Amino acid sequence: MALIEVTHLNKAYGKVKALQDVSFDVHESEVFGVVGPDGAGKSTLFNILTTLLLPDSGNATVLHHDVRTDYLEIRKHIGYLPGTFSLYPDLSVEENLVFFATMYQSDIEKNMPLILPIWQQLLPFKKRPAGKLSGGMKQKLALCCALIHKPTLLFLDEPTTGVDPVSRKEFWEILRSIKQQGITVVVSTPYMDEATLCDRIALLQNGQFIKMDTPQAIISDFRGTLVSLRTPDIFRLHKLLSNAPFRCTYYPYGEHMHIILEQPLEELLPQLKQFLDQHQIQFSHIQQITPSVEDCFIEIVKNSHAQNH
Amino acid sequence: MRVILILIKKEFLQVFRNSLLWKILLLAPLAEFLLFPYTADYEIKNVHVAFIDHDKSTLTADIQSKFSASPYFINHGDIASKQEADQMMKNDEIDFIIEFPDQFENAIVRQEQTKILITANAINTVKAGLGSEYVQTVLGNYFTDLGEQALQMSAVPLSALNTTAESSGEAQEMTASVLSHTPQAQLVTTHVYWFNEQMNYQNLIVPGLLIILVTLIGAYVTALNIVREKEIGTIEQVNVTPIKKWQFLLGKMIPFWILGMVEFGAGLVIMKLMFGITIQGSLLLLLGLTSVYLLVMLGLGFFISSMANNQLQAMFIVFFLFILFVMLSGVFTPIEGMPDWAQYINYANPMSFFMSALKTIILKGSTIENIRHQFIVLSVMAVVLNTAALLSYRDKAK
Repeated sequence: MALIEVTHLNKAYGKVKALQDVSFDVHESEVFGVVGPDGAGKSTLFNILTTLLLPDSGNATVLHHDVRTDYLEIRKHIGYLPGTFSLYPDLSVEENLVFFATMYQSDIEKNMPLILPIWQQLLPFKKRPAGKLSGGMKQKLALCCALIHKPTLLFLDEPTTGVDPVSRKEFWEILRSIKQQGITVVVSTPYMDEATLCDRIALLQNGQFIKMDTPQAIISDFRGTLVSLRTPDIFRLHKLLSNAPFRCTYYPYGEHMHIILEQPLEELLPQLKQFLDQHQIQFSHIQQITPSVEDCFIEIVKNSHAQNH
Repeated sequence: MRVILILIKKEFLQVFRNSLLWKILLLAPLAEFLLFPYTADYEIKNVHVAFIDHDKSTLTADIQSKFSASPYFINHGDIASKQEADQMMKNDEIDFIIEFPDQFENAIVRQEQTKILITANAINTVKAGLGSEYVQTVLGNYFTDLGEQALQMSAVPLSALNTTAESSGEAQEMTASVLSHTPQAQLVTTHVYWFNEQMNYQNLIVPGLLIILVTLIGAYVTALNIVREKEIGTIEQVNVTPIKKWQFLLGKMIPFWILGMVEFGAGLVIMKLMFGITIQGSLLLLLGLTSVYLLVMLGLGFFISSMANNQLQAMFIVFFLFILFVMLSGVFTPIEGMPDWAQYINYANPMSFFMSALKTIILKGSTIENIRHQFIVLSVMAVVLNTAALLSYRDKAK
């Protein structure tokens, strides 16, 4: 049975529709990722599921309890890591942990094995005020505080935003190990590369779920041919492609330009090369590549835009 | 219980780690007590006085010397012309002009009615009001000493004189009221009252400071503390735990209640040691009254914090209410002098009830019977405000 069931959820702040008709389930022992750009509605969704915010309409149950009425019951069994650091900066590492453990009326000793690998890294700083920790350490402490009551369900709102790449990788390894302890994880992130680390992902755009599946399924659903080419003239090429003699979707991707063609590359390659030469665009490394989740996301967003217009 | 205990412990840890906060909590009362009773004082010193003496007799010279001898006056001596004296007053050099008519001494000797004209610079109304009392007292004293009982008194304002002086482009109105007096012996009675003012006024203002102290801790510190938790997001992290609203409320109120009581106790000690004011009534009753008043203020602070989204908003709301409370409470000005509507507003002013009860306990030694009314009103206010706070505190947003 699903641990989270959400049906037709809506939430608006005045005229801004933060969530529109969102429905999904989260199953036991999975890492469910909510992926979307800033302002997509991720935090609103998390605040509703963690019982901090009431939805306008639609239903949401967490651990089979209604978020509107049974919120106290839900709060006993979930852990929540908010998007911004929200521990007491003037209390020490240890004091914060003891404080939140007591809030949950939980036994630190008993649940220590769960957080021990993370806690050990924090031990050298246990007398330090939480506000004076480094960004990565703050996140680890927040995670310890969110796990100390051994929740069934853990919510992480953008846990890796503003964290360095090494710490990000480490953090995801921790999430994997948490999952192995039988804790279901719901995590949001604006980073597409992290999406592939989830069991299932939902792509959130303007308050709507535009796609929800496993990362592999999303990638295999990709329609069209993805071509990557490297060029120093990205900006000029980006402008020129709108007048290309073939239908395509394109977007810069680092130092590369990604072009999604509707036909196989072999058919269009001569035409494409001619187009580039004609406009004196230098290029190299032109090849068909396997799309990443980000490519899929961009394709889906562009398609949904095309349908809307 | 464990939950509330750790909430209290957390609050104290935070207060004592916030080096600025506890220094303020410690220094603010001291600074208030050290400065306020000496500065916020209705005592007027250095009243500048000048004379226009048309008589130039021994008597008028003797009266002038009385003013020179008084520590409250600075005597600018005999001014030759009325115009010159007026000019000095316009320049704010003198506060009072005392004019003796020609044949003044003769009239006194012959026990005829005569008049002394006292002109006061009323730009500073307090100074003008109190100053003229002083002037009358000095004159009254003098004539009592002289044994002149027969003089009749009539203190009727003759006219009011308005002059306008230009100052840096803006028009300032300067009003000088001209009073006419015949000195009279009865005026002597005010002497005791005004010249012992210093002691009396401190008796009034020091309990007032105690009240301000308790109010600041109760309402200000509580409101700002909770709003700060909103600002840094910790309140969300606490709300997502299964603790109940009332637990959170108690966890905030108990520590600030204790802090408030400690500050109040310290204030009582300072009051005794520095100003020698002894509590006439029961200390227990005083503490009981204060603890109820603190509950009112804590509830208010809590209630305000649920309306405000940031510390700035909270500060303005508390500041506004605080000024309103203080102005109407009778801490600095007597309630009896206020218009009826202001006195009605005072029925909703907890500070006013606390002030009247606290003053009578400290200065008059009132018992529970005397202040039962205030006790009941404050208790009701405490219950109402804390219920409102509990209801308005949202652990989940709409």
